[in-house]
Formats: sequence, structure tokens, C-alpha cells
Amino acid sequence: MTMASNAGQAGDLLLSVEDVDVGYGHVGVLEGVTLSVRRGSIAALVGRNGAGKSTLLRAISGLLTPSRGQIVFNGRAISRDKPHAIVGAGLLHVAEGRRLFRSQSVDDNLELGVYGLKMDAAGYQRRLARVFELFPVLEEKRRLPAGALSGGQQQMLAIGQAMMREPVLLMLDEPSLGLSPLLVDQVFAAIMALQQAGTTILLVEQLVERALEIASEAWVLQNGRMIASGPAAQIAASEELRAAYMAAH
Amino acid sequence: MDIDILARGLVAGSLYALVAVSFNILYRPTNVFNFAQGELVMLGAMVFASLATVLGWPWYAALIVTLLGVGLLTLLIDVVAVAPVLARSQHGTGWVITTLAASLIIANGVNRIWGPDPIVVRPPAPLTTDTFSLAGMTVSAYQIFLVLLTVILVLAIEQVYRTRQGKAVLAVAEDREAALLRGVNPLRLSRWSFFLGGAFAGLTGVLAAPVLYASTGLGPALLLKGFAAAAVGSIGNNRGALIAGYLIGVTEALGAALLSPGYQEAVVFLLVLCVLLVWPHGLFGRPFARTV
Repeated sequence: MTMASNAGQAGDLLLSVEDVDVGYGHVGVLEGVTLSVRRGSIAALVGRNGAGKSTLLRAISGLLTPSRGQIVFNGRAISRDKPHAIVGAGLLHVAEGRRLFRSQSVDDNLELGVYGLKMDAAGYQRRLARVFELFPVLEEKRRLPAGALSGGQQQMLAIGQAMMREPVLLMLDEPSLGLSPLLVDQVFAAIMALQQAGTTILLVEQLVERALEIASEAWVLQNGRMIASGPAAQIAASEELRAAYMAAH
Repeated sequence: MDIDILARGLVAGSLYALVAVSFNILYRPTNVFNFAQGELVMLGAMVFASLATVLGWPWYAALIVTLLGVGLLTLLIDVVAVAPVLARSQHGTGWVITTLAASLIIANGVNRIWGPDPIVVRPPAPLTTDTFSLAGMTVSAYQIFLVLLTVILVLAIEQVYRTRQGKAVLAVAEDREAALLRGVNPLRLSRWSFFLGGAFAGLTGVLAAPVLYASTGLGPALLLKGFAAAAVGSIGNNRGALIAGYLIGVTEALGAALLSPGYQEAVVFLLVLCVLLVWPHGLFGRPFARTV
């Protein structure tokens, strides 16, 4: 087990995925995948549909268990931990498709964001205020069931729900999917605001160029293997890599 | 026609509603029907009857021991017969057999210990089963108490789902994986739900004992009609279960009075069949439908 002695310092490795194999049953999806995210940064994970991006996020958050390799978060091996323990360590995953509790109200969804945390009412209200500051529309609709919100509002609620826990690392899977350009701008602005407030972000995004604009580092996944990594600007400039991550549409 | 039918129907219906609610408590976080639920109600009645009537314990002490005992046994059913099956496959159906096995083991065990003779249980004072006339119906104070308490219990259980833990149970019911990603540990919630659902079944047995007598034969009938009430009222919907319980209880009493007691079960299940043919998800919609 790797123990980071300087855990907490900006710029050190907050998350490292080391030579990991992941599959569903006997079907291998990821082979020998390595990835790391520096504390305080935005990292982009890019690749075509089916490259294994969501599978990698699912392995990091404990929904899938790697058959080989290890995942270290904040100085602690988490590859064998259960999802709720990984959430407890401060690693939050906003899954693709706005997975909310649609029959419950916006307020209830945000409350579930702090499930299992002990805090006083003032602390809770402070976190709620931060979410409403970033996404004012949620405050207007707080009594409505989450299922009654528009797609963009649901995405904001999904991010807000994760924010309630004040995560150390936030993994966002396709946050712009299905949103209008105006809403995409809002979501990207929110991601940058979160990073400036100290949250580390791992972003999977189909709008690759926009993701590479706000990311400092990027990782390129192709057919279950990590084929390149480096400063986001370099990845964005490489014609060769463009073919690997641009969807054919 | 005798208006007493309504009173008999409501009393029986209350018990079916309580069994249905105990099904729902376990179903919400697990999507599992515990087919031992009927025998747990019977066990609750037998344990309470033995402590209160045979050993002469005060009713509240007998009640607490019964609820804890049946609750813990149901927790054991989860640990031994349900959780291991779900750990292998979340959408597997092995629990149908394992919970039926638990049901048979409890039924056999109880038969061995208590034998077939019913035990008379008196309600705690000042309640009695002495009948009097109310608006043309022959009723007892205990029957009125039972019907009212059922409504209160159903509303109280609904309040449990307004707490943070309760909301987490609803979250697991709606999208288990999304709940996992928000830090919910479904196993822990399942255990609590099994304990609570078991204690609720035990309580149902305690409440049933003064009107039905405590006997080892209680289980199967309560299991079937309680399950029918849960299905007609829409699985997972406790208010639906309450109304469906009354509907089934009154239909059963009508069937017995108008045709013959021999037909009462047939009439009940004919009603259930008709309702489910027209509304496959029960009368009260599908509030816990999964979205994919």
C-alpha cells in the first residue's frame, strides 16, 4: 500500500490508477490502464464511445472491482473498497445520465448528498447555500420532484448533490450530454468555479475541445488502453491523437 | 343483508393491510418478497400468547419481547437466506425458494413447540372483545381499536420514510446504483428494513391474536391475503395497501355471507385476479418504477 506522506499538498497525486484490468464477467474492457490526477487540477479523460471511459470511472468509484492493478486515492488503496466507503473518503462520481431520485424533491435529493455525514443545521445550510449560489434555479425549484426538472436542471442537481458532500475529487461523466449550448456554458462555468474553490476534477466529456480547454492534463483512452497522456494543450494540438478521441459523427 | 359484514370485513382487512405493509417495508430496499412473512405473523401471535396468557406477563413486556424476538429472527433470515443470494446476483430470484424455506422451517418449528391448539388472548384493559351495538353493527371495543390503530400505524410508517434513513431507502428502491454513488450502504438499510418489517409482522400477530386466537394455522391465510393486499394496493405503496386490505377484507366477508363461507377465498382471489388483469401494477400506480 502506498502512503503519501505529504497528502494534502497542492500538486501531489490525489488519484492514481496503476496498471488496472477491469471487465464485466469474463469480458475484459480495460487492460493495463494507468491514470493519475494532481490535487487541485482538472484532468480530462477522452476517447471515443466504447473506449472504456465510463468503465474506468465505475472501477474508481467501486462499482466494478479491478481484476489486476490498484487504485490509490489520497494515499489509500481503494481498489477493493465498497462504493459507500469510497464516497466516505471524499471521492464522488456523478454518473452519466443524471442519475437522480426522480420521485423525491430537489431538497430531498440534496439532503441525500450528505447521507451518513454528521453535521449541525448551520453546516448543512452553509453547504446548501453554496449549491444554490452556483445553481440558483435549484433554489426556485427546491420543492419539485427531481423528475419534473429539465435536463439541464437535472444535471445541475446531480452536480449539486455531489457538492453537498464537499468532495475532494469529483468525477463527472458526460455532464454536457443533451444540454443546449447555453446550459453547457453554465455547466462548464460551474466546473471551473468548483476547481477554483479547491475541488479536484476528473472530467469525461464528449465536447472534447471544450474539456481540453479547461483541463490541465489529459488522458486518451482507445479500445480499453491508455494510449497517450500529457498537458491538455499538447493533446489538443496533436492531429494524430485527434483521430483517437474524436467521435465519428 | 347483515351490516355486521362491514365490521368483520374491516377488522380482517386491517390485518391484511398490516401484513401487506410488512411486505412493503422489506420490499423497498431489497426488491425481495419475504414469503416467511405469514409465519412471522403467526410466530408473533404465538410468542405473545405464551408470554401474556400462559406465563401471565404484563402485556407491554410480552409485546416488547415479541417484537424484538420476531424482528431479530427476520434479521437472521436476511443474513442467512436473502443477503447471500443477492450478493451473488442482485437480480436473481433464488430468494423465492430461500424465503419459502425459512417459512416452512418456522411453521414446522412452531408446530413442534406449541402444537395445534389455539391459545385465547385477551386484549389489555380497558379494551375487551365484548360486543355492543354501534350504528346497527355488533362490534367490540377491541375491533374499533384495531381498525383505528391500523390507520395510525400505516401513517406512522410513512413518516419513517420522511427521515434521512427513510429517504435513503426510497433512493435505493428507485436507483440502487445511484444510491451507492451517494454513499448509501444498501446492505445496512436492508438489515434495518428486515428487522423493522419483522417486528411489524410480529406486531400484526399480537394484534390479530385477540380476534383470531393464536394458532399455528394463522400463517398461510395471512400470507396470501396480505400479499394480495400488497399487490392490489401497488407493491411498495403503504396507503394503497391499507385501502386494498379493507377492500379484500370486506369482499371476503361479503362472499362468506352472500354465498357461503366455503367460497370466501374464491371470491377474494377472483377480485384480486380481476383487479390485476385491469391494473397490472395495482390500483395505485407505480410510484417506485425504475427508470433506465
